[in-house]
Amino acid sequence: MPLNLSQPKRKNAISLTPLIDVVFILLLFFMLTSSFVPWRIVDTPLSVASDVLVTPQEKDNVVLTLKLNDDQVWMNDQPIRFADQARFQALIADHSEGIFIIKAEEGVTLQTLMHLADRLKLNGAKIVSIANAFAMPETK
Amino acid sequence: MKIGEKYAARAASNDDNMVPLINVVFLMLVFFMVAGQIRKADPIPVIPPHSINDTRSVTDPNVVIVVGIDDGLYVDDQLFAIDEIQSYLETQFISTTNKEGFWVQIKADGGISLEKLRPVFNQVRLAGLTKVSLATQLERGKE
Repeated sequence: MPLNLSQPKRKNAISLTPLIDVVFILLLFFMLTSSFVPWRIVDTPLSVASDVLVTPQEKDNVVLTLKLNDDQVWMNDQPIRFADQARFQALIADHSEGIFIIKAEEGVTLQTLMHLADRLKLNGAKIVSIANAFAMPETK
Repeated sequence: MKIGEKYAARAASNDDNMVPLINVVFLMLVFFMVAGQIRKADPIPVIPPHSINDTRSVTDPNVVIVVGIDDGLYVDDQLFAIDEIQSYLETQFISTTNKEGFWVQIKADGGISLEKLRPVFNQVRLAGLTKVSLATQLERGKE
């Protein structure tokens, strides 16, 4: 008499291995191509070559000069430290309608320039011009 | 049969063990898909200056100039000499249809000194373009 061993009933589930393969590939793709740097833009409108640049004497403008990357800025040959919030606030209150023009000497980095512009904005300056920092020396 | 049932139970449990793994991988996948932005990589690595400025660009820039800390200068992903920028910008400006909205984005490393950027700005100015923007990186958690 033949032995009739019934085969166990197998579940007809879809194998998960191909799914995992695809998901891993997708995950790798998104991990490698994604960018998390929140890029922003600062407008630096340029005057055309024929235009006359705004001179410091005009209106109520304030000219601030960066000499080094030492967290201080010079105004009328006097240094102002970036951390000196009271000094910045007093300066901005005195020239509330003026343009704060930032100039930079050799060696000053872009980060220092942005740091100063941030300080001025945080303390209430309405218009900060950084375009002069990018002007060639002969056109200053 | 007892033996067959045991075998079947073990085979089914192999895939069951992978379910938590799949859950985690799916969560990571969804996170990267939602939080990340897929964009073309810069030709050279650039760490933009940090700033509190939160202005986003409305339109894509017509020309992107990348200035690296090692003096590499790329315009629209091509290596350029400084003197060639003006003519390239003029050509691009002539060929564009929306001349009012034409703008140039300069991506420069935060550690770069300003005298290296001046010739670039000068070239843009000489090309007669006035709409220029500097790329910055949003500084979070400070003041």
